[in-house]
Amino acid sequence: MIFQEQKRVVITGLGVVASNGIGKEDFWQACVSGLSGVRRITLFDANFLPTQIAGEVVGFDPASLGLTKEETEVLDRGTQLAVAAANLAYYDCGLPVDLNEAERNAMGVMMGNAIASVDEGERLWLQFTDVGTKPIFARKQDFQPATFLTSFTPSSAIAAHHQLYGPSTVIATGCSAGADAIGQAFWAIQDGRADRMLAGGSDSAINASGVNVFSVMKALSTRNDDPKRASRPYDGQRDGFVTAEGAGVLLLEERDLALARGAHIYAELISFSSNSNGHHMTTLPEDGVPLQHLLRQALEEAHISPDQLDYINSHGSSTRANELAETAAYKAAFGKRAYHIPISSIKSMIGHSQGAASAIETIVTALVLDRQRIPPTINQHHPDPICDLDYVANVARCADVNVALTHSSGFGGVNTALVLVRSDWMDR
Amino acid sequence: MSHQTHRRAVITGLGVVAPNGIGKEAFWQAMNSGIPGVKPVQRFSTVDFPVQVAGEIRDFNVEHYIDRKLANRTDRVTHFVLAAVQEALQDAQLVLEQEDPKCVGAVIANTTGGVEYVVEQIEALHVRGPRFMSAYSAIAWLQVANVGQTSVRYGLRGYSKTPVNDIVGGLDALGIAYNAIRRSAADVLITGGCESLVQPFLMLILGHSGQCVAGDDPNAYRPFDQRAAGLILAEGAGICIVEEYEHARRRGAPIYGEIVGYGQTNDALGFGMPAHNGKQYARAMWLALQEAQAQTGDIGYFSLDGRALPLADQSEADALQRTFGTDLQHLPVSVPRTMYGHSFAAAGALDAITALLALQYGMIPPTINCEQLLPHYGLDLVRNEARTLSRSTTLIGGRGLGGANVVVAIKKI
Repeated sequence: MIFQEQKRVVITGLGVVASNGIGKEDFWQACVSGLSGVRRITLFDANFLPTQIAGEVVGFDPASLGLTKEETEVLDRGTQLAVAAANLAYYDCGLPVDLNEAERNAMGVMMGNAIASVDEGERLWLQFTDVGTKPIFARKQDFQPATFLTSFTPSSAIAAHHQLYGPSTVIATGCSAGADAIGQAFWAIQDGRADRMLAGGSDSAINASGVNVFSVMKALSTRNDDPKRASRPYDGQRDGFVTAEGAGVLLLEERDLALARGAHIYAELISFSSNSNGHHMTTLPEDGVPLQHLLRQALEEAHISPDQLDYINSHGSSTRANELAETAAYKAAFGKRAYHIPISSIKSMIGHSQGAASAIETIVTALVLDRQRIPPTINQHHPDPICDLDYVANVARCADVNVALTHSSGFGGVNTALVLVRSDWMDR
Repeated sequence: MSHQTHRRAVITGLGVVAPNGIGKEAFWQAMNSGIPGVKPVQRFSTVDFPVQVAGEIRDFNVEHYIDRKLANRTDRVTHFVLAAVQEALQDAQLVLEQEDPKCVGAVIANTTGGVEYVVEQIEALHVRGPRFMSAYSAIAWLQVANVGQTSVRYGLRGYSKTPVNDIVGGLDALGIAYNAIRRSAADVLITGGCESLVQPFLMLILGHSGQCVAGDDPNAYRPFDQRAAGLILAEGAGICIVEEYEHARRRGAPIYGEIVGYGQTNDALGFGMPAHNGKQYARAMWLALQEAQAQTGDIGYFSLDGRALPLADQSEADALQRTFGTDLQHLPVSVPRTMYGHSFAAAGALDAITALLALQYGMIPPTINCEQLLPHYGLDLVRNEARTLSRSTTLIGGRGLGGANVVVAIKKI
């Protein structure tokens, strides 16, 4: 590649399946109304576990979201959520379904997930061993092997559903996976490897091991009697995060193509920055140094100053150590400006949907730019004195938002930031 | 918007944990001589299993590489990758203390995660109770454990990713690292793949998946053979140090080769075997050639996917025919992995390492077990004995269930 002009990338389609709403409008209404999707677990009997609440997607009807009968029978739940979100994004972007071959060659799929394979894995293990009472290979098994290694399936399933022949990969960088997939897709369009990408994240691991794996780390809230108030990032009475399932997919499109077809542009994506902690597998250092570096890098790569930053959609997982690190990093990277930037955590409403989380948060960020309205961080009742920034407590607000940042941090230490701007901002 | 500068991605260090050789030297010795690593499984009883042989890593002492505490908190797959990373860093003569940690990262592919570790924990949960699950379960099990532990061990602060793409994840990792280096997202990336499929639960499921040859014949992985009936599973790790060219040159690093092209397409057919025709795979080849600014006649060796199922072999031959036309009869092709089996995400990285060593030594390692090559594939398959490699550019191809086709071009400089 020799001095090639980089393409510009805009967001023209949004698809979301979250615990507080399915589809862009229902989800957005729930978010600006401060509606929680956390509830008692119904997907399995969780009574033997210390945590019995999660952000479950209720009323998920695959057929009404465009999944075929075969997809409904063969694909695991997480992949079904992913295909549903991709379908919603595709319908939303207004592209015709009858793309020509050249257009399909130039359209790919990039999806993130964190723990996708556990749902099928646990189910098969229970089946193979009669809940651990028999050796694993004692009898002939009847199962669908193709769906077992489900971590790579969301991209392939979406590519097959929409007949897309461009690049497709899954990125599994823990809780940053969705944003990483969006970032990699953004690069693919910038570099001319694709014209359009369906990109996002998905996960569904509301099963015994998928929940308990976080309980044994003492990472989950046990507020079983008050699920809607359990996820409370930045609040002094938080007791851990709430696990969730979901999917979020965006249609990223080369800007000239979007303009030529008169597509609605929600926002322009202008930078993807990423680093790693190199510190510990599960926590950020409290001074937030790697995150500081990331935030500075994001501003530099987006060519913006802290004064231009109007909104942050934070990682805010309802985990004290992370939020101390985040708050410290904002102050270090943005100086006094940190106190004047509205910050909200959607996880306060939908829980932490693992590999889907940062993709859904990118969708929220695009909608904030599109609608000029900021959804709240709910459950803010007992301020944590160390978390003293503007977290848009409890109530949505209207605001003039031109430049927005969303960032995430995951198990394994990968941090990712995306900067989005209002659709016409770059040309003002 | 911003202009991109012309940055090149070269490979300066190799690390190998393979069934027929741990360490670059032992591995190449075995590959060049056609010494196989597929044997009856020793780790557990395979009675009643559909498959009794595998490319198993033997004589591997994890404590030679990491301390017991870390070994107990991580899965076998992470043991393999940490060993391969250590070797690759040494091979590259890279002193990390002298590097800016923000410019060093890791891109390591893996398909299944730490299954052995997590299956024990699922059992503990359901048989003994929730409290008995290890607090290290999540970090031992997720695919991101491999880049995470690598970053923690070496204090890496840079761009890090974990591709998951069925059996082509390792090739994707090389492509992703190549892009990231060119885009200035990093100067050094610890890149490759790892897998630990020789585990009862996985061997049972994958053994029934239709892609593996059944039985106990260690020589049964026979791509392009009349008797082709599937692949043999393996485990291991392969790591390449991918580095920006000027950075490597300044510090006088050994350079095995340069990544010059990356093509990726999808068949969009769902989860069966790769497409019956090689149209999209051919397009991935063409994209890699175009980016490498290479003609079909410039390619000295093509490392094939070689799934060893008649339809998959036929469609791979079809893709090659579409891309190379009459040049195909003069193109040496091989599936050196027939010697040690298919280790999914590790395989792409090991294939690339094999190709880089082939460039270094000027020899193409052979495909073994293919005694009855079907002539209608029209392939010049390097069989049984290594052959001289006479050109400086090689292609490495792979195709995953789910339809991904990946081709990476590597050139000696």
